[in-house]
Amino acid sequence: MAGVNLSGITKRYGAVQVVHGIDLDVDEKEFVVLVGPSGCGKSTTLRMIAGLEEISEGDLEIDGRRMNRVAPKDRDVAMVFQNYALYPHLNVADNMAFGLRIRRMPKDEIATTIAETAAILGLTDYLERRPADLSGGQRQRVAMGRAIVRHPKVFLFDEPLSNLDAKLRTQMRAEIKRLHNRLGVTSVYVTHDQVEAMTLADRIVVMNDGRIEQVGTPMELFNNPANTFVAGFLGSPPMNQMKARLTETGAQVGGSEIQLGRPMNGHAGRDVIIGIRPEHVTLQPGDQTTALPISLDLVEPLGSEALLHARFGESEVVFKAETHGNIAHLQGVTEVHVPAPLVKVFDAETGLALSLER
Amino acid sequence: MKKLSLTAAILATTAMATPSFADGHLRIVDEPLELTIQMNHARYPIYEEDWPVEQVARELTGIHLKNDTVGANMRTDENTGRTEALNLMLAGGAIPDIVGSSRIRDFVNQYGPEGAFIPLNDLIAEHAPNIAAYYATRPDIEAAVKASDGQMYYIPYLPDGKYGRAYWIRTDWLDALGLEMPETVDEYEAVLRAFKTQDPNGNGLDDEVPFFARQWPELIRLVTLWDGRAHGSDTYHDFLVEDGKIGHGYLGEGYRDGIANLARWYSDGLIDAEIFTRGSSARDFLLSENLGGSTHDWFASTSGYNRLSSEIDGFEFKAFAPPASPSGRRIEEHRRILVKPDGWAIGHTNEHVVETIKYFDFWFTEEGRRLANFGVEGQHYDMVDGKPIFKQEFLDAGPVNRSLYQVGSQLQGRGYFQDYNYEIQWSNEFALEGIALYDEGDYLIPDFLGVAFTADEQKVYDRTWGTIRDFMLERQQSWILGSGDVMADWDGYIAQLDSMGMQELLEVMQSAYDRQYGG
Amino acid sequence: MVDRNTGIGGTPVEEVVVEASEALRDRAKSYTPDSSWARTVDHFKREWQLYVMLAPTIIWFLVFLYKPMYGLQIAFKDYSIFRGVANSPWVGLEHFQVLFSNDQFIRAVWNTIKISALNLIFGFPAPIILALMFNEILHATFKKTAQTIVYLPHFISSVIIAGIVITAFAPTGGIVNIILGWFGVDSIYFLTRPEWFRPIFVGTGIWQEAGFGSIVFLAAIAGVNPSLYESAVVDGANRWQMMWKITIPSILPTILIMLIIRIGNIMEVSFELVILLYQPATYETADVVNTWIYRQGLQSGQYDLAAAAGLFNALVAFVLVMTANTLSRRYSQTSLW
Repeated sequence: MAGVNLSGITKRYGAVQVVHGIDLDVDEKEFVVLVGPSGCGKSTTLRMIAGLEEISEGDLEIDGRRMNRVAPKDRDVAMVFQNYALYPHLNVADNMAFGLRIRRMPKDEIATTIAETAAILGLTDYLERRPADLSGGQRQRVAMGRAIVRHPKVFLFDEPLSNLDAKLRTQMRAEIKRLHNRLGVTSVYVTHDQVEAMTLADRIVVMNDGRIEQVGTPMELFNNPANTFVAGFLGSPPMNQMKARLTETGAQVGGSEIQLGRPMNGHAGRDVIIGIRPEHVTLQPGDQTTALPISLDLVEPLGSEALLHARFGESEVVFKAETHGNIAHLQGVTEVHVPAPLVKVFDAETGLALSLER
Repeated sequence: MKKLSLTAAILATTAMATPSFADGHLRIVDEPLELTIQMNHARYPIYEEDWPVEQVARELTGIHLKNDTVGANMRTDENTGRTEALNLMLAGGAIPDIVGSSRIRDFVNQYGPEGAFIPLNDLIAEHAPNIAAYYATRPDIEAAVKASDGQMYYIPYLPDGKYGRAYWIRTDWLDALGLEMPETVDEYEAVLRAFKTQDPNGNGLDDEVPFFARQWPELIRLVTLWDGRAHGSDTYHDFLVEDGKIGHGYLGEGYRDGIANLARWYSDGLIDAEIFTRGSSARDFLLSENLGGSTHDWFASTSGYNRLSSEIDGFEFKAFAPPASPSGRRIEEHRRILVKPDGWAIGHTNEHVVETIKYFDFWFTEEGRRLANFGVEGQHYDMVDGKPIFKQEFLDAGPVNRSLYQVGSQLQGRGYFQDYNYEIQWSNEFALEGIALYDEGDYLIPDFLGVAFTADEQKVYDRTWGTIRDFMLERQQSWILGSGDVMADWDGYIAQLDSMGMQELLEVMQSAYDRQYGG
Repeated sequence: MVDRNTGIGGTPVEEVVVEASEALRDRAKSYTPDSSWARTVDHFKREWQLYVMLAPTIIWFLVFLYKPMYGLQIAFKDYSIFRGVANSPWVGLEHFQVLFSNDQFIRAVWNTIKISALNLIFGFPAPIILALMFNEILHATFKKTAQTIVYLPHFISSVIIAGIVITAFAPTGGIVNIILGWFGVDSIYFLTRPEWFRPIFVGTGIWQEAGFGSIVFLAAIAGVNPSLYESAVVDGANRWQMMWKITIPSILPTILIMLIIRIGNIMEVSFELVILLYQPATYETADVVNTWIYRQGLQSGQYDLAAAAGLFNALVAFVLVMTANTLSRRYSQTSLW
């Protein structure tokens, strides 16, 4: 079982604690993405797994073996760096062979491995080139190739796509996903981009301030964010969040009341934050909807959809609407309709999701 | 501090200094005349217009010297610093009215004939009776000053006193070991050997250095103990003159035998093992550490080390007469040279040539000479029984020659005739005793006073001499250090020198010498 | 390593180039001066700040490098300071004939080359090795202290250095001979032995300059992307392998440039130190071109001969540096120009 198990992993630099006891189990062949804003401790956590940073407290196991004091080279992990870390003086083939030569793999084996990997990554024609003569995407592939040839138990990715432009990023994202499907190696992937996280992950770990906010599949996290942070981090645009007070029938926001369509179980009068995903509202009233009066600021067409930037009471809100090939009909919108079951409720103080059950 | 107090003393006495001899007979111009001067020397990099001596000279002659020194520096390296300022001045294109410097002879003798300096023969004959009178008594010196075209281009600084260096020995060590003062080279060797082996400093260690020298060529000077010759003048490795014939010490058989003996002395440890690298601090270090036994060095400065008797019990370092060679000759090769290549010259743009030569002549008058030697009467010296005697507070104000530089006298960038009396007054008893000893024996031999080359002769000299000198020194050191045997190598050495043009060089030297001194 | 295609602020390079050329075209259109003179005046008006910034360098070159070149002609003249460069008579190659017919000059040329070669072989790698060693020291205070100690000799004047060397190698009481004495070796008067001069001189040079010379290589090492090392760590490289496979290849361009510069200075043996350390007894191995010039030329005011020897020096150095540069460009794509 080449899983990765973190329990109580802590990182301290002198008196400053940057990772506060992470517990996480990555299953074999699983693709786990650590996501969070910069400074949240996700890269530090990854580097502790790689062995580039010492673990201050807690236990790290890879494949069931405790790795805290094991040298990086003996952890059987391979890492892809944000800036690729290609050796500028070596050509593509030598770059990929670097780790193998260090491990004294026989020459012919190295050659075979490189050839195979280059074929997988489409680098066969570039083996003699130096990194300076490659495009960004090609360099990215070489960096991955260097990790792949090692046949490690675990792949570690440290924001590998952040240096690419948007188009290449989308393309490489897909390639990484395909590669993972094909090789099936346990992977831990760090990014600050929630789109990458959503698209790549088997499970996403949302981190903030050195702590895990929530762990789950992309859709779990999207549909049932555990707290306002996760709600605000995932989704594009993120969930609209508004201060509200619960009544017997719904939630009082500004001058309006939004139907929640569920029993309050005595929570009435409680201060909450309600969350509405931009894509959940409709322009026409429907089943169990509440009309939300808005004053429209701006319409941003995205093609099949458009973003409506508007004000609702005190809050700035963003909603998504279908264009049907035309945005003229969106200019005069004065209200949107919120379906009661899809409205999220969070505690105003803790930010945790409320089920409103007893 | 000393300098400050001296300056203060001078300032205090300036008011009292009423020139009693200001009767005007030395006056050269009625209206004050200003002349510019370049004067660079290691110890006084520029000509100070407020030197008391300059003030008095100004009053007496009416001529004011204005400092216009280019490239002033205080490097003492004999080979670079001293003419660097002159070269800079010349390269700058403007030559002041008067140029004074050490090492000026070769400079003016090269550029004078090219027109940079005024020839002085006629000027001296017509306007400088005192200089002319001096030269009339010393035709050899007059000859030595002349350039190859027969003209004089500078008025030299003429040192007085005969003696420079002498042999010195720790007489208290002699006494401790029950030895006599060495009279012959064999006795000298025995004494040095005793110093080496019998622990005269009594510390139980074999650490005595029997013979040492601040300048390693002084070791070579010892070849005179075997009838050889080393340095023909006060310039090391210089040519020598004997009975009107130019030769070189390093070609003689006495030199060969001397080197062979010195090599033996060196390998026996009678000579400082570090003689070639110990450098200028050798005397200071070896004497104050109670290690050094004997040397060949200057009277005045070496005698001063007897002050060490307060620290080292019984310390006594005395001059002794040159030991006799196997053939019985006793010579002291080093002496104060009769004429230095230092002095001053007149730049070609000077518009007051006559006044300038008269001014030069002023320093050869009785009053001028006294001013140049002793400073200002009433300030630095008093006349006692018709002789200038330094004031006691002036003698007490630190090294006397330094004090004199600071008031503007004893400047070697000025052409003047030194008066040895100035030095006797502050030489210590050991020096005076030594000088008396050397006076008795008459050990001095004539110096080679140098020659001025024509352009063609200069070319031969430039092409051959440097190479020859380097070769001779290389061989010389390696013989002494024991790599090579001088007796076995000698014929090859002479042949090699000939192939380097030694004979040609000697011929050129000889023809220059004959032209200069023979006629 | 920044992606080549991401130029300024994430904009692809091609776009920046296109924008810039369009801007230029626009400007060319809006300015339509009627003559080239007007265009020049216009150009200076617009760009004068650039020329002001350029001026000090140009003036420096003119005054200190190009103007003195005028004086080089004295190598072919019978130069007199009083007559000046222009008025001294031509003598053709006479000075060169004097030089090359002089065995001591030829010997000095060979000595220069031999000392320089030793300097290159032993003295050039020393600062690199030192820099690599410093790079391996992890303890910050210890590293700083060690660096300061090895930098120090650079700031000591040659005269003092020579004094230290003479004392250390003295036959009586010199530290070297004392240590040799422990092993029963007889005291050696090193500084008068021709066979010892080169080792002592080259060793002194290394001791004096290796520390300071390591600074440029330390700077080059500091410029190596740290993730290269991290990547190698994960790949399993040890420190030795990282030094050979990452550090040295990464600073290789710096090493080559420094080497070319060094080769250009091959005739420039630090002659003050030679003068302070040599003796007639060691001329055989110690006399270099510059000391020979000093003794023969400058001491007797033969500036013309010295200039001829200097010109020869420069010529040799020029040929060597051209060769080194060409070789380096051909085989490693690194070159000075």
